[in-house]
Amino acid sequence: MKKWTLFMLIFSLVLLGFSAGAFGAEDKKIKAGFIYVGPVGDYGWSHAHDLGRKQAEETFDWLETVYVESVAESDSDRIIDRLIQQQKCDVVFTTSFGFMDPTIKAGKRYPDKLFMHCSGFKRSDNVGTYFGDLYQMYYLNGIMAGALTKTNKIGYVAAFPIPELIRHIDAYALGIKAANPEAKVHVKWIYAWYGPDKAREAAESLIAEGCDTLAFTEDTPAVIEVGQSHTEKGKQIYTFSHYSAMQPYGEDSVVSGQLMDWGGMYVKILDDIHTGNWTNEDVWWLAKEGAAILGGNETDPINPKFVDDLKQAMIQTEAFGKISAYDLVMKRYDQMKQGVDVFDPFTGPVYDSKGTLQIKAGERASKDDLLSIMYYVDNVEGTIPQ
Amino acid sequence: MIRLSFTDRYKITRLRALMTNIFSLAAGLVVISIIFLIAGVNPLFAIAEIFQGSFGSMYGFKETITKAIPLILIGAGLTLAFRAKFWNIGAEGQLLMGAIFSTWTGLAFGNTLPSFVIIPLMFAAGFLGGALWGIIPAILKIRYAINEVISTLMLNYICAHILTMLIVGPWKGASRFGFPGTDNLPEASILSVIPGSRIHYVTLILAIACAAILTLVIYRTRFGYEARVVGENPDAGKYAGINFFKTTLILMAVSGGLAGLAGVGEVAGIHHYLSYPASVSSGYGFTAIIVAWLAKLNPLYTIFSGIFFAGILVGGDAIQISLGLPAATVEIVNGTLLIFLIMGDYFLHNKINVTFSRA
Repeated sequence: MKKWTLFMLIFSLVLLGFSAGAFGAEDKKIKAGFIYVGPVGDYGWSHAHDLGRKQAEETFDWLETVYVESVAESDSDRIIDRLIQQQKCDVVFTTSFGFMDPTIKAGKRYPDKLFMHCSGFKRSDNVGTYFGDLYQMYYLNGIMAGALTKTNKIGYVAAFPIPELIRHIDAYALGIKAANPEAKVHVKWIYAWYGPDKAREAAESLIAEGCDTLAFTEDTPAVIEVGQSHTEKGKQIYTFSHYSAMQPYGEDSVVSGQLMDWGGMYVKILDDIHTGNWTNEDVWWLAKEGAAILGGNETDPINPKFVDDLKQAMIQTEAFGKISAYDLVMKRYDQMKQGVDVFDPFTGPVYDSKGTLQIKAGERASKDDLLSIMYYVDNVEGTIPQ
Repeated sequence: MIRLSFTDRYKITRLRALMTNIFSLAAGLVVISIIFLIAGVNPLFAIAEIFQGSFGSMYGFKETITKAIPLILIGAGLTLAFRAKFWNIGAEGQLLMGAIFSTWTGLAFGNTLPSFVIIPLMFAAGFLGGALWGIIPAILKIRYAINEVISTLMLNYICAHILTMLIVGPWKGASRFGFPGTDNLPEASILSVIPGSRIHYVTLILAIACAAILTLVIYRTRFGYEARVVGENPDAGKYAGINFFKTTLILMAVSGGLAGLAGVGEVAGIHHYLSYPASVSSGYGFTAIIVAWLAKLNPLYTIFSGIFFAGILVGGDAIQISLGLPAATVEIVNGTLLIFLIMGDYFLHNKINVTFSRA
């Protein structure tokens, strides 16, 4: 008897499973799936994308979204399949560079669905790309770093040696150079987007090597926590928040930072899909479009604690004569909001660290140049790992 | 007063083994249901979603089979080692070593040799890699009496770091834009899949064949008998003239070699390039320990227990996607099921007598 009861129990469970699937049928709304490389609570990249997803979902009543977090590159094929086949998504957003090839392959498998890959450069008929870039904010952070550093050694904890990171390090270094031509940038690679332990270790070793100012690309506030704890012990370390509002993790250490607002971009892309205006053309948003924002939290572009120091640091510039670091940051930020043709950090002359002229005087790097940049500018120490 | 006493069961029937597993599973599901209730999700719906996600749909079932391939291969190999009471916890490292050897072979010769030569060559290289990594702890144990649990476990980490060193350093591919990882394997060295799925059927056939052959070896050959004696009654083995060194070497070469084959399948069938250890294998070497155990150390049964566990892994996706629970919930569910299955094993081997008496 027991055997039969058990058998019936399992059988009913399986039946229940099928019926649950049958209820999943949907009307003609658009359903968008989001694939994140990290946990949504990472306080960095994935967290910022998830805020954007929520904003889009609140904006449109015809939109339904579903997300999957902590997806390894090797699992992305399976997750895309599941979002399309089981969740019946109409469009899938893959939000990490490493998902590029799987996204292109998925585009071939599902020709009647749309795919949007964030930060890549491969497109096809039904696969588009989008990106919001922060290099302008790194430049502004660099001006502040150059003005504040006392040791003239500035650290950068970096995830992977890919063009995006090189662009950010270079923009940061160019900003530093504008404020303080003596200071050099020291880079440590941790080979992880999400690696608080590695980031902490890298930050500690940069400080041990004499750096008093740190910026980073990693999805947790680990570097800021290191900066804050040194500052509390009496050794001022300046840090710059990355991607999300991380200033609360280091009120005495975070000077400013870079914030990304994906919401506007997701709203636009989904609206284009809904109205039939979608194309696979690259969507590339900067300060002008309101995607890149200066600050370590939502309210202050610069932490009020450091405003006085920055107002006292005077810098000799070609464009504005003698000007305080604070005013320079604000003027440049204002120009960036008007567009890259008004001011862009990658305006020549720019020399790489081997002494080669990479951008001629008066010229501005094109978007393609920036997307494939693979050289350090001349005030970055060391070489890019091959 | 209630008194509990434990006695060994002499005879374990197949039916009893099956029923114990089913009951353990049911008990595990009850605990998981409580977790789901706390998370505010209807447990019946959640559990149904998991099983529908792995067995209840064509899509899910294909994925389940894909994930079962390495579990069957490694699990079958482990049954041999475990029968000889050689506690090989190092299948993860043996898998990775197989992946390293076969990737090298594929990258080096894949452009010049045709498919039907390069693919057997890669499987041979993978077997060799896994076998070498399995033989090391065997030598350490027999010659120097070093505990194999420690040595096999530690060799996992060593292999993972060797792999990371290769993909960050000398093997890093030009096409990876700075990301760690080798270039893609040449077309000829990639395993073909059943259309519309990711099932690399060559490895699947190999897995089932290995499980079947190993069953014959264990129950029908002198070597299988010797391996069992080494595990169950080493003293008798010595009098009978069994060469412990040779037997252990062979069985660990086979156990490690099969894990190495699983590594070939993952690299040449799924990823097509060598990336981080955690990407190459999602802990198959460890999950396979439970697969072997659940199969009662019978290689043939690992086919079923492998598919079952693959189903739990794949069904875990549903927890995140359909129920919107955090990714960590998947691991809680899997961990809970494992604990209950292991606990069930105790009740299978020990009879528990409850006596009521007035004190």
